[in-house]
Amino acid sequence: MIESFAAVQPAVVGAVLAWAGGVKLFGSGAAALARRTALGRLAGPHRAVPVYRTVGSVELGAGAVLVLPPALAAEAVLATVLCAGLLGYLGYARLVAPDSPCGCLSERPTPVRWRGFARATVLLAASGTAAWFGGHLTWADALVGRPMAAGTLLLAEVVLVLALSPELDAHWLLPLRRLRLRWRHPLAGTASGNGVPVAASVQQLLRSPAYRIAGGWLRSDVLDSWDEDEWRVLSYSARHGEAPVTAVFAVPRLRFRPADVRAVLVDEHTGDVLWQYTPQRSPHRGTALVRVDGPSA
Amino acid sequence: MASEIDTPFYGESTWFCCGNAWGPCGGTGHGACGTCNSGSLQCAWPNLSDACFSITRPDRCGRTGLLRWGCGHTFQITSRCNSATVSVRIADCGPQTDLFCGEQDCCSNGLCARDRLMDLTPAAFSRIASLSAGKIPVRVAS
Amino acid sequence: MSDNLDRRRFLNAAVFGGATVVGASALGSFAPQAAFAGLRPDADPHPELDPSLPDPNFAEGRITGIDGAMLLVTGSDKARHRIYATSGTSVWKLRPATVDEARIGDGLYARGVLLGDGALAADAVWLNIVNLTLYITSVGRDVIHFDHHGERVVGHVVPGTTVAVYNGTPAVTDLTPLKVGTHVQVIGAWRPDTNEVDLATVYAVA
Repeated sequence: MIESFAAVQPAVVGAVLAWAGGVKLFGSGAAALARRTALGRLAGPHRAVPVYRTVGSVELGAGAVLVLPPALAAEAVLATVLCAGLLGYLGYARLVAPDSPCGCLSERPTPVRWRGFARATVLLAASGTAAWFGGHLTWADALVGRPMAAGTLLLAEVVLVLALSPELDAHWLLPLRRLRLRWRHPLAGTASGNGVPVAASVQQLLRSPAYRIAGGWLRSDVLDSWDEDEWRVLSYSARHGEAPVTAVFAVPRLRFRPADVRAVLVDEHTGDVLWQYTPQRSPHRGTALVRVDGPSA
Repeated sequence: MASEIDTPFYGESTWFCCGNAWGPCGGTGHGACGTCNSGSLQCAWPNLSDACFSITRPDRCGRTGLLRWGCGHTFQITSRCNSATVSVRIADCGPQTDLFCGEQDCCSNGLCARDRLMDLTPAAFSRIASLSAGKIPVRVAS
Repeated sequence: MSDNLDRRRFLNAAVFGGATVVGASALGSFAPQAAFAGLRPDADPHPELDPSLPDPNFAEGRITGIDGAMLLVTGSDKARHRIYATSGTSVWKLRPATVDEARIGDGLYARGVLLGDGALAADAVWLNIVNLTLYITSVGRDVIHFDHHGERVVGHVVPGTTVAVYNGTPAVTDLTPLKVGTHVQVIGAWRPDTNEVDLATVYAVA
């Protein structure tokens, strides 16, 4: 039984090594990725790509001999050494360049994190099992001899390796999560009933003719904000020459209509209004910002 | 060195932190040029080097005319919304232009800019806009 | 509190009341003299500042002490700053706030005017503000999980505050169009010493 279980390990390890080798040798973005990895830092910018491709060649070759018959103990030992080397490389990358992409199994820049370590550990354990307990039984023989047991183990290990591969999340995990959102969206409550946040009024202000004129006088971010019927009032510190003044903007609260923004520049010490901007009203009502029963207009 | 006539262009500018600052910037280091600090008037440029370009890929957004400028090159950045201006020096690689291709930002009167082509330090961004705005349309001149 | 209400009533009267404009203030006769908190021709003592040097009218760091309206800040370069907040200083902490909401340990950016004694008279203070490019990995109840250069960031949706902007359209509170597996830009307030951020604005390409 143990020999059968050990015999299927080269299939998993070999497939992963072949996959890793293929990415390094044939990936269109492999050269650019190689320079960004910790391997690139280790080998230097001029040798990063040749070293990366050499590693890929070794991986592809090792993967091929593991998957193809016959099953030799030396192959499993080689795989164990490679997997131990991978684990060591991950540790080095995490230490020296923690934000650099792994470059291990995908052109997608994926930093080294716990899932990468877990995957490398699984592969090391698998190849070590094959080296220690394996005989001359190939993985195909094991599947024929014990189809249920060996097949289940093989499938479980493949699923485990895939689950520990962040490079593949976009192919299965994220689509699953998107599907879940279609069924029941956890943020459905944000679609209505939350009023109009201040940030929305500020965005409207930044697009208004009043801001285009007065923006250069402002010295602060929003000092104060309050609601006045259908308006939101935003005040800012401003400067007119040497004098500190207050800029006050009245922004339509329930509609997106930047052209309707009103503004004044006020000296709060004297009570004087130094400048004002009152737009011409037009019949266009602008876009509603508050959704009550349906999508926003 | 520039090999084309450099003319001012329009794009979006965001802001970023550097220099081992607080929060999520704790481990950012001093940028690709080794000199970036949040409190200095600096910027990140998407065509700083071959390695930088391979990350930012502005060409994927159709922006194929961005010149190669190295560390220390000076830009004049002008906000399209209030005409405020700041001079900045390149100190890092960024922003990640190809993640937001086609994104547009506008001021009043239809003054707009498309694609993220400039990233300013907080000190620089706050000279022409509020940090809470996050991104603004700008004019970039050498 | 009543001072603030009186102030608001006064400013309401100014912006809505059709008040008489004093002096030579017809529209267009004031050209904006300087940029936002930046190039003050009169007040800025460093008009031709070397961009590679720290901007003396700007401070960044973490709050290490609070003494009334004065914030003591230690910068990432270990420089010590004293920041004065006045009634004209805006404070942002996820939303417009006051200096009373500042806490020791908060991250800070401040822009203002450098005084003769080396302190900064702040025009604007932003507490814990972050601007991050994030990758949405999953969505939960009042929370969005992100990836930031391989690290997990938890974004908290704050009802009444969090908005989304979809490719430059008007900001809305509806976050349901955000897609798992896409990149977004987030303005938010970092919760100090955690990997959590309260979301202010989420910019997405729809």
